[in-house]
Amino acid sequence: MSQDPSSINGGSAVAMIGKDCLAIACDLRLGSQSLGVSNDFEKIFNYGPNVFLALCGLGTDVITLNEVFRYKTNLYKYKEERTIEPETFANLVSSSLYERRFGPYFVSPIVGGINSKTGKPFICSFDLIGCIDFTKDFAVAGTATDQLYGMCESLYEPNLEPEDLFETISQALLNAVDRDALSGWGAVVYLITKDKVVKRLLKTRQD
Amino acid sequence: MAGLSFENYQRNQFLSSKGYAVPKATSTGTTIVGCKFNGGVVIAADTRATAGPIVADKNCEKLHRIAPHIWCAGAGTAADTEMVTQLISSNIELHSLYTNREPRVCTALTLLKQHLFKYSGHIGAYLIVAGTDPTGSHLFSIHAHGSTDIGYYQTLGSGSLAAMSVFESRWKLDLTKEEAMKLCSDAIQAGIWNDLGSGSNVDLCVMEAGKDAVLHRNYLTPNVRSQKANNYIFNRGATVVLKEKTIYSKLELVSEEVIISTPEERPEAMEVDA
Amino acid sequence: MNSIANRLACAGSERAAIHDQSFFSNFSTNNLAASLSPSIALPPISQPTKFLRANTDDSVNPDVKIKIAHGTTTLAFRFQGGIVVAVDSRATAGSWIASQTVKKVIEINPFLLGTMAGGAADCQFWETWLGTQCRLHELRNKERISVAAASKILSNLVYNYKGMGLSMGTMICGYTKKEGPTIYYVDSDGTRLNGDLFCVGSGQTFAYGVLDSNYKWELSVDEALQLGKRSILAATHRDAYSGGSINLYHVTEKGWKYYGNHDVGPLFWETKQAEGSFNNVVT
Repeated sequence: MSQDPSSINGGSAVAMIGKDCLAIACDLRLGSQSLGVSNDFEKIFNYGPNVFLALCGLGTDVITLNEVFRYKTNLYKYKEERTIEPETFANLVSSSLYERRFGPYFVSPIVGGINSKTGKPFICSFDLIGCIDFTKDFAVAGTATDQLYGMCESLYEPNLEPEDLFETISQALLNAVDRDALSGWGAVVYLITKDKVVKRLLKTRQD
Repeated sequence: MAGLSFENYQRNQFLSSKGYAVPKATSTGTTIVGCKFNGGVVIAADTRATAGPIVADKNCEKLHRIAPHIWCAGAGTAADTEMVTQLISSNIELHSLYTNREPRVCTALTLLKQHLFKYSGHIGAYLIVAGTDPTGSHLFSIHAHGSTDIGYYQTLGSGSLAAMSVFESRWKLDLTKEEAMKLCSDAIQAGIWNDLGSGSNVDLCVMEAGKDAVLHRNYLTPNVRSQKANNYIFNRGATVVLKEKTIYSKLELVSEEVIISTPEERPEAMEVDA
Repeated sequence: MNSIANRLACAGSERAAIHDQSFFSNFSTNNLAASLSPSIALPPISQPTKFLRANTDDSVNPDVKIKIAHGTTTLAFRFQGGIVVAVDSRATAGSWIASQTVKKVIEINPFLLGTMAGGAADCQFWETWLGTQCRLHELRNKERISVAAASKILSNLVYNYKGMGLSMGTMICGYTKKEGPTIYYVDSDGTRLNGDLFCVGSGQTFAYGVLDSNYKWELSVDEALQLGKRSILAATHRDAYSGGSINLYHVTEKGWKYYGNHDVGPLFWETKQAEGSFNNVVT
């Protein structure tokens, strides 16, 4: 159908900030055009307890970049003797993508995490060449981007408690993905607070 | 910049030869302006970032600091304006440390234009550079191909025509600081209201000779979203959860997962004398 | 429907456009009917064929301006107790799901059903048009039209437009005294096939997979309806462009009977629970 590397495999992600917490969620589909191939393709990775990265786009690049960032954050840990902070990681993502300015990875990432010093939640999204979009409410990515923008603009409220934020982000993702042929097939939500991270698998439509 | 990598270039060329379109980068379909006044210079920008028809960021920062007294407004490909100004900012600081002198606007201008020219327009940065240095206050514009322009007022971006109409009708010599700020913010508003690629707020930066540059982030916010009369907060438990797992807890180690383990048997030591 | 779109793309591109704007009159004997029947004006350009191909066929040009709704799974099969027709209800434009509640079975008359795959507008328009032709046949001949004749009216019609961008893959299902329960597959290439079992659309392969491995002539009516529904369910699961809900029909000598709309959302989990199937999905 649409001939675009970032929509061959499909998939979407969203992140939201709440009161001293944040949530980051993605669907589980990996397809090859119209054919659903895997319903177990998680697009959210973490590099330490307080740094999460959602990668949407071309499946091969999602896998490659996860490994690139695992490598880079591990080196960072050895050099600095501490884990990377979300803000620092965002800049690492940005410069790693911009390094490939003229031969980009076909991904749209979202970074989310809680700064271990200040305890402040942080999210931001990127385009495929590393332009950071800092936001204080929500960030979206993937083939259901347009739908997610619509859901988030209407559902989002600032300063939600973790459990309310969970309902909001889940409903935003679920309903957006139900209007996208290339996303869906299951979803996961990470609820991140200063001293606890919970991962939830959602019940979704399977068509 | 340690240098750009062209590793994926061939792959992506192949993909586009197969009919796969290259995805759109965020661009700042933008209005940016700059205007000199008696004793300084003002630059201003709107705060909308777009990706195709979608407003990607409603309050982005298009005013970049190159040096404490040299600021720059960027239009074009968002990542390029950000990265190119960061790069030149670093080089300017190194240069100023090396020479033990205040950085000059014309140095930033030359560095930027030489860098952009080298990439013959592929780095899509369109910039208005302004600032004060020991030689006075300056205002320039740079296009992605490396050409530069000097003037008392400059406009760039998709809203440049709307903004220019304000300057062309109302600009005069020897403006005061306040007059220049008003003129610049009006020019940006012309873009915000009349250009679809521009919108949201006005950012403004005043650089006065002998004083610290002052950034007025969200100098005007004429597009504040009105308060919703009600909300869409869901009842807890509205979403059906199939599985839950605590993957990290400060209070207790919940689960441990070995991502990579070293092989159990160690390779045999090399036999020295066989 | 991709396969049709692909086959269309392979058809000779330089086929001459047909400038017969009033061929509808071929099927009616008086001029009054001709003036009441619709006529489609050809666009005022030298080669309408090329224009349509360039602007609507997304297998040729990926960023076409006019995106026609493709993607469907439909099936119909004959068995001991008549015919079962089952379809999904999703309409897509690119990856955008335009609707989850499309009626893809067109009730041509109480004894004839048509299924929809490919261009939604093409199918909807020409199959309702087929309904009027079938009624005219009844009025003229004081006898219900045969499924063979009805399907042939449609296949002759689409053949007249061959290569001009029509996109449809349809099954005309019905019952007449002399034919018994009959299915004809008709597509926009002009293909017209009589057969016992067809699946049409982007999810056809997935539906065939389930249908072929469980089909037998001796199926009871309940079993047949269940199998039709189950086959579409399998297709909605794997095919991104199929989904929404399932519409079920049963055709007998008394005409067709509607067997309800089944939302895939809950149906999937019920089926998985009941059969212990779909083990690729975690609960």
